[in-house]
Amino acid sequence: MADTSSLLTVGGDRTTGQTVRTQNVMAAATIANIVKSSLGPEGLDKMLVDDVGDVTITNDGATILKLLEVEHPAAKVLVELAELQDQEVGDGTTSVVIIAAELLKNADELVKQKIHPTSIISGYRLACKEACRYIQEHLVCNVDDLGKECIINAAKTSMSSKIIGPQSDFFSNMVVEAAMAIRTSDGKGGHRYPIKAVNILKAHGKSSAESVLVHGYALNCTVASQALPKKILGAKIACLDFSLQKTKMKMGVQILIEDPDQLDKVRQRESDITKERIEKIMAAGANVVLTTGGIDDLCLKYFVEAGAMAVRRCKKVDLKRIAKATGAVFITTLANLEGEETFEPSFLGQADEVVQERICDDELILIKGTKARTAASIILRGANDFYCDEMERSVHDSLCVVKRVLESKTVVPGGGAVEAALSIYLENYATSLGSREQLAIAEFARSLLVIPKQLAVNAAQDSTDLVAKLRAYHNMSQVKPDQRDLRWVGLDLTKGVVRDNKKAGVLEPAISKIKSLKFATEAAITILRIDDMIKLAPEQRGGNSYEQAYRSGQL
Amino acid sequence: MAPQKRNNAPKQSEYKDKDKPTQIRMSNIEAAKAVASAIRTSLGPRGMDKMIQAANGDVTITNDGATILKQMQVLHPAAKMLVELSKAQDVEAGDGTTSVCVIAGSLLDACSKLLAKGIHPTSISEAFQKASAKSMEILEGMTTPLDLNDRESLLKSASTSLNSKVVSQYSNILSPIAVDAVLRVINPAYADNVDLNDIKIVKKLGGTVEDIELIDGLVFDQKTQGVGGPNKMEKAKIGLIQFCISPPKTDMDNSVVVSDYTQMDKVLREERQYILNIVKQIKKVGCNVLLIQKSILRDAVSDLALHFLAKMKIMVVKDIEREDIEFVCKSLNCRPIASLDHFVAESLGTAELVEEIHTGASKIVKITGITNPGRTVTVLIRGSNKLVLEEADRSLHDALCVIRCLVKKRALIAGGGAPEIELSLKLMDYANSLTGMEQYCFREFAEALEVIPFTLAENAGLNPISTVTELRNRHAQGETTAGINVRKGAITNILEENVVQPLLVSQSAIHLASETVRSIMKIDDIVNCM
Repeated sequence: MADTSSLLTVGGDRTTGQTVRTQNVMAAATIANIVKSSLGPEGLDKMLVDDVGDVTITNDGATILKLLEVEHPAAKVLVELAELQDQEVGDGTTSVVIIAAELLKNADELVKQKIHPTSIISGYRLACKEACRYIQEHLVCNVDDLGKECIINAAKTSMSSKIIGPQSDFFSNMVVEAAMAIRTSDGKGGHRYPIKAVNILKAHGKSSAESVLVHGYALNCTVASQALPKKILGAKIACLDFSLQKTKMKMGVQILIEDPDQLDKVRQRESDITKERIEKIMAAGANVVLTTGGIDDLCLKYFVEAGAMAVRRCKKVDLKRIAKATGAVFITTLANLEGEETFEPSFLGQADEVVQERICDDELILIKGTKARTAASIILRGANDFYCDEMERSVHDSLCVVKRVLESKTVVPGGGAVEAALSIYLENYATSLGSREQLAIAEFARSLLVIPKQLAVNAAQDSTDLVAKLRAYHNMSQVKPDQRDLRWVGLDLTKGVVRDNKKAGVLEPAISKIKSLKFATEAAITILRIDDMIKLAPEQRGGNSYEQAYRSGQL
Repeated sequence: MAPQKRNNAPKQSEYKDKDKPTQIRMSNIEAAKAVASAIRTSLGPRGMDKMIQAANGDVTITNDGATILKQMQVLHPAAKMLVELSKAQDVEAGDGTTSVCVIAGSLLDACSKLLAKGIHPTSISEAFQKASAKSMEILEGMTTPLDLNDRESLLKSASTSLNSKVVSQYSNILSPIAVDAVLRVINPAYADNVDLNDIKIVKKLGGTVEDIELIDGLVFDQKTQGVGGPNKMEKAKIGLIQFCISPPKTDMDNSVVVSDYTQMDKVLREERQYILNIVKQIKKVGCNVLLIQKSILRDAVSDLALHFLAKMKIMVVKDIEREDIEFVCKSLNCRPIASLDHFVAESLGTAELVEEIHTGASKIVKITGITNPGRTVTVLIRGSNKLVLEEADRSLHDALCVIRCLVKKRALIAGGGAPEIELSLKLMDYANSLTGMEQYCFREFAEALEVIPFTLAENAGLNPISTVTELRNRHAQGETTAGINVRKGAITNILEENVVQPLLVSQSAIHLASETVRSIMKIDDIVNCM
């Protein structure tokens, strides 16, 4: 191969065979090593400083990897994997990367023992399928059996590894309440939890325990003028997507004035057009006007006179959600079908109270008691901005977890219980197979143990001892039918013992485990299938021509 | 080694005129062989993938020969011929792009052996032409005819093609899609070609490959426009317009002069009236779903128009690409409407349901239940990341091409290296009936074809020598359908394993490969015009 590759003059580098596989595995292992220490409740955080000096402190695998500038293409596959897990599940981003890297490492060992990669691939695929099936059949417990407590527990488990871990009692309740508030029916008898609808605002100052959940919508804007009222009860809200400014003529319209008197009238007319619009809105009964555009100081006068609240430069997404929550119609123009401009009272939405409140240095507008649908916003408080950012990420992760648990209705015990159970099961399963896949499945089983091992290492416990104990319990549960309850056994990392994690309330959504296994296997297979890497050199003008290659003796 | 040769070259050429052409020929052969050996590891169901990082950092992971070679920037002119060759196979048959290069590489190897024996390149070239013609005959003799109603066989050949791809584990999902898509766009009774443009492929990131679906209708990857407008429409009447619903612009620079304040109101009102007129006309005709062609010069549809349309409960999809217009018309059975005057009920298409669907983070618009649908289908491809998405697209394209080949030439042959080994044996036999140099050439040609089963076995982790010899043995005993069963790692009757491929793929592979080899043989000088 070596002598032919020198003949194949491509404009760039080319690596083939075992070299490229080892390279890829190395790259993947490097990525996994970076996030490894942040796994689990005792995992530590990373501080990332980018080229302009912005600092991010985080424990979230996907965030860490997103901020790294990874160059190696195989490593990029892992970064994408973490992103995918983040999008699809929202939690478990660190573990998915660690599992994928471990699968690759073990596969590389097998290849070195002269086992063809395709056999390993089919073995991995089989193992993944079996593992998912086993989780679904033996390791899940139904949320309905466990009661509402388990949803809070699942949120707590996801938070335990994060900065807000110590206050997980407080935050988990908040998160579950927020998720419940935004529940909407999907029209087929089920419910959806569009977690994006939970508006998370950050304000630094005060301690994190003083974060609040607002039943309503918090809008990060202030009223347009000091003279406007700051509190309105029984609000009638108009959501507009146009500016209330002096009307400007469109491009291509020129105003030519011959008479100086006309000049004044034109000016007058310019402001009158908007005035008429505002009057129409007021006439319909609106007392709160939210717009994505601007409001002139001149026009504010009319609001002040009417005693209505006006807020300018709101975000479009916010307004759309407010419109949904209050039952308002989000309107882009006042024109009606007769070619005139009107504003119907039916366009208005309703809320009990709209109030501007001061939280730390910023003022926020809170819309409480929305009529059409309940809404939820979380205002996070923290000592500094990094802290707030990390809190936001953690809360987001927990929201995702709660959503998954509520939608899928199944949870699995955490703390390495699932991985240990699967590894025992797959090892037994491997010995029942007489084909080449046996070795690959056994390696798959061994790779899964990396999670409990790493959890124990991060917690500064004796990983060998703990994992051995854990495996012993799980083996017992699978061998002896009367000991089946031992399958809930997982690690207790603070005390360094094994315990029943189902009772202890360490729970994760089943869907998260299944998806992370599937994604990790897919990614490992994608990288494993590669046996040739061609890096093309950046194109140079008139560079790498045949003539040059000829001269440099490459031909 | 190479530089030394070159240093000697000018000196020798003074004495021996024949040396330079030989060197050029050898250099060409070596370069082309290098290309072939570069992609041979991706042949077959157990073939590996290549990762190619382009100059701008984009990464492609693929198993498709044509794609690999297109991405690689080969410099040697002869090597470029092989790249062209695989492109030609891609155009002609759509599949077998790797095999065609591997065959060409092996034939070139045979040539170098023949040249070493002192046989003149022209004789080799002529003999190869005859051998290739003879191979066509032999292949024809091996075929099983196919009826397009025989869905089972079509499925088999599609999954054979998909088996070598990254998405192979989904072949049971993709092959029915490929078969159904092709069968829907043709009339099985008298079709002899398939216009793959009738199969629109829409790629959307998110979901997994399992979510790929064949849609009997249309899909747009845009979302519906406007706030508060409908996003689901039953019994839809669909209009496809090519004009804009926004304030008009003249061709020249223009300006409207306003000299009176009352006229300001008029300007605003006129604009509203103008747009309202258009919208009312649309509504009057009964249209309730509006597709608007993309416009560069001005807004295809202004905010005001969207507002009116939403009020009239008309669903709007904008930014339909110009090249898609024809496809849309064909499938909806409607006419594109270029001006408001032509907006009449006859130009509209009708469908049972037009609906906006959430797919992960984004939305798509789906039109189903079209009345009098044209012969078109849409395939919605999903993939968890960009690499998988692209590869799924390429694989589906290959599978579609395989079915197209079967429509063109309704004959199947066994896969798994069976046709190549059979050809090799038959050609060997035939060679014995010849005399002179042709005999040598035929023998080498025959032997060269064995590279396919050899590589298949090698890639599958089997012992190539023992596998190929056993295969040859079985064929000599008359088992013409014996082939390499990669899954079991043994020689079995490959037809029973459902590994079949269209005749056209094998035929064009051998045909194109031998032609390329012939043209490489005929080159005796490279002149650099710099």
